[in-house]
Amino acid sequence: MRLTDASVAIRPRGPWEALDLGVLLARRHAGLLLASWALVTVPIFALLCLLLWDYPGWAIFAFWWLKPAYERLPLHILARALFGDTPSLKQALKALPGLLRPQLLASLTWRRFSATRSFDLPVLQLEGLSGQARSQRLVVLGQRDAGAASWLTVVGMHLEMALWLGLVSLFYLLLPAQIELDWSWQSLANAAAGEWLWLEHLSNLLYVLVLIVWEPVYVACGFTLYLNRRTALEGWDIELVFRQLRQRLTGVAYALLLGCGLLLLQAPTPVMAAEIGSCPLPLEDPRGPEAARLLKQPLSSQAAQHSIEQLLDQPPFEHRETVTRWRFGEQEPAAEPSEEQLSGLLELLEKFFKLAEFWNSIDAVALFFEALLWAALLGLVALLGWRYRQWLGVFAGRLGLPQRTATPPSRQLFGLEVTPQSLPEDVAGTVEQLWAEQPRAALSLLYRALLSRLLDDYRLPLNSAHTESEVLRLVEDLEQSELSSFSQALTLHWQNLAYGHRLPPDELRQTLCQDWRRLFDDRVRT
Amino acid sequence: MPLNPVARFSRAQCPPLDTRYRVETPEGIDLLLRPAGLVPRALAFAIDLLIRGLLLLAMYVVLGLLGKFGMGLATILLFLVTWWYMVLFEVFNQGRSPGKQLLGLRVVHDDGTPVGWAASLTRNLLRFVDILPFGYTLGILSCLNHPAFKRLGDIAAGTLVVYRDTLPARPSLPQAEALHAPFALDLLEQRALLGFAERGASLSGERRTELAAILAEPLQVPVEQAEQRLNGIARGLLGPT
Repeated sequence: MRLTDASVAIRPRGPWEALDLGVLLARRHAGLLLASWALVTVPIFALLCLLLWDYPGWAIFAFWWLKPAYERLPLHILARALFGDTPSLKQALKALPGLLRPQLLASLTWRRFSATRSFDLPVLQLEGLSGQARSQRLVVLGQRDAGAASWLTVVGMHLEMALWLGLVSLFYLLLPAQIELDWSWQSLANAAAGEWLWLEHLSNLLYVLVLIVWEPVYVACGFTLYLNRRTALEGWDIELVFRQLRQRLTGVAYALLLGCGLLLLQAPTPVMAAEIGSCPLPLEDPRGPEAARLLKQPLSSQAAQHSIEQLLDQPPFEHRETVTRWRFGEQEPAAEPSEEQLSGLLELLEKFFKLAEFWNSIDAVALFFEALLWAALLGLVALLGWRYRQWLGVFAGRLGLPQRTATPPSRQLFGLEVTPQSLPEDVAGTVEQLWAEQPRAALSLLYRALLSRLLDDYRLPLNSAHTESEVLRLVEDLEQSELSSFSQALTLHWQNLAYGHRLPPDELRQTLCQDWRRLFDDRVRT
Repeated sequence: MPLNPVARFSRAQCPPLDTRYRVETPEGIDLLLRPAGLVPRALAFAIDLLIRGLLLLAMYVVLGLLGKFGMGLATILLFLVTWWYMVLFEVFNQGRSPGKQLLGLRVVHDDGTPVGWAASLTRNLLRFVDILPFGYTLGILSCLNHPAFKRLGDIAAGTLVVYRDTLPARPSLPQAEALHAPFALDLLEQRALLGFAERGASLSGERRTELAAILAEPLQVPVEQAEQRLNGIARGLLGPT
């Protein structure tokens, strides 16, 4: 046995946790345990059934009585699997006759009803103790955790019953309806002695199937309980860590010796690496980043900073709103209650008490409760309304209830007045007049008019933060090719003129004005 | 005897079995929960069942005196006791029904947080599935087969039945002069040294000597003094108390 090979985490646990570890252990080796148990017990059960065909009760009793004998096989498998030496199915079955030999009679007779059977079995089977030595060992081991072993047996009995009943009822549920009709409970009860033998054998078989699942778990739980007790008694976890520590320390000592030897053997070689040049740091401005710069030109850093701050202070970079609410006025200094008021108050209280006495009948109480309940109901409705107000708002919108009016579109873009009132009646005509003398004013007027129309006719959500190209993109989203080509041409020439001071070609006047008339003038202004 | 190479390979791959359940918090701290298995849970359930049975019996006796009205009340109470007993105790009593309290268990979410209404209702309503086809058959099988011992209701609700952590008793170390460890120790090794000193009383004298002898060579002391030296180092690790 080498503790470092153990396939479970060794540490002292509580008794219940030790049982849980047993469940996990049985689960890891479930295939092998179930198969070996089934291969042993099912033939024995078949044999008993054949021998005692007329007495199914006795057959299952004999099978049940032999349980301690079968339990030795799972323990053998688990004990070997614990230290990584899991036997194959064949090996395990071959080992069975040898396992049965020691103290089988005792296990099957006077120790059959021991509640700590699973906990005691490892002492017998793995430590090979018998007689006086065994009982002394059991006394030592049983100082703690024996209670858990008894509870394990008690719970196990009930689990077997529960699982058996579950299987029986499953079997009953799965019967086809036609057969079920023929079976009445009474005939079952009457026939218990007679022709329903096979049914009893069937229910016995279900018990055998239940044991295939539960017994390996039971044995594993007893085994881990035993392991846990020995871990606590002998400090297995401590031994494990001490051994690892010793290995580490002595290993380190050898490695150090070896390393020293190697170092002494080797002569030091000169260092050949180049010197690392220092990376030049940027010169620091002694005045700091905030200091005033560029003071000898019209746009100094201070002026730029100022205008940046102003811009950042306006929407859309800054969102401000003014909230107006009602609130209580200034608190008046509390007036001293005068004598009259006090006496009046006392009188009122007296009246109130009298009234309360008067009300002290069932009706008043009922009325009170009614009012209370109504108030609660109203409160609940109000609360629900408040809680789901957004949902209600969505719903109200569907029903066509008045919505909050949309905010009026902004009336100034790029510093240009775009209200319809500020534009002349006949935009195209005015532009044609202005074109020769003031081309800038003409194009500006046309562009303003376009923006105004976009705002009012097409309801584009323009605001003063939009750039010309953003406006163009919005126009393209309208998917009207004529409008967008017009807007593109106009915007291009307006930008050329406004920012580049390049005059538009003269023939442009005609095209733009015609386009304008075609696009907008045949429509009635909304 | 030839070893099955596949078995050996798979064993080398899988970590040692342990009953701990590790939850990592967003801060990178590992919480160690200890899920409770079938046996303590079955016992806790039995205790709860007993309490509920007695409660109902007493109720029927008292309310039976009131005739039909009493029976009506008793029916309502039967509903409450059957379906709400566990839920109310779990939500209001830190996940502990009386049975779980006695066995030292509690119900928590999978991430170790206290169980809430939704999870508790789910896991207790789904008892009905666990009971199928009779007597908790599915629940028992699921509990035996799940690595964290969950029944179907627990899987659905994302809850876990764990052992409560109890305050550890103050350990008593044997008298020894506090010493510095002559070599660096990691946390596990420090714990083992402290455990050796703390649990000395429950180990036999020979076993103590045997354990101490393992470290006699690295400590560079004779075997007889190793135990005393280890106790001294443990005292040093514990610090002034």
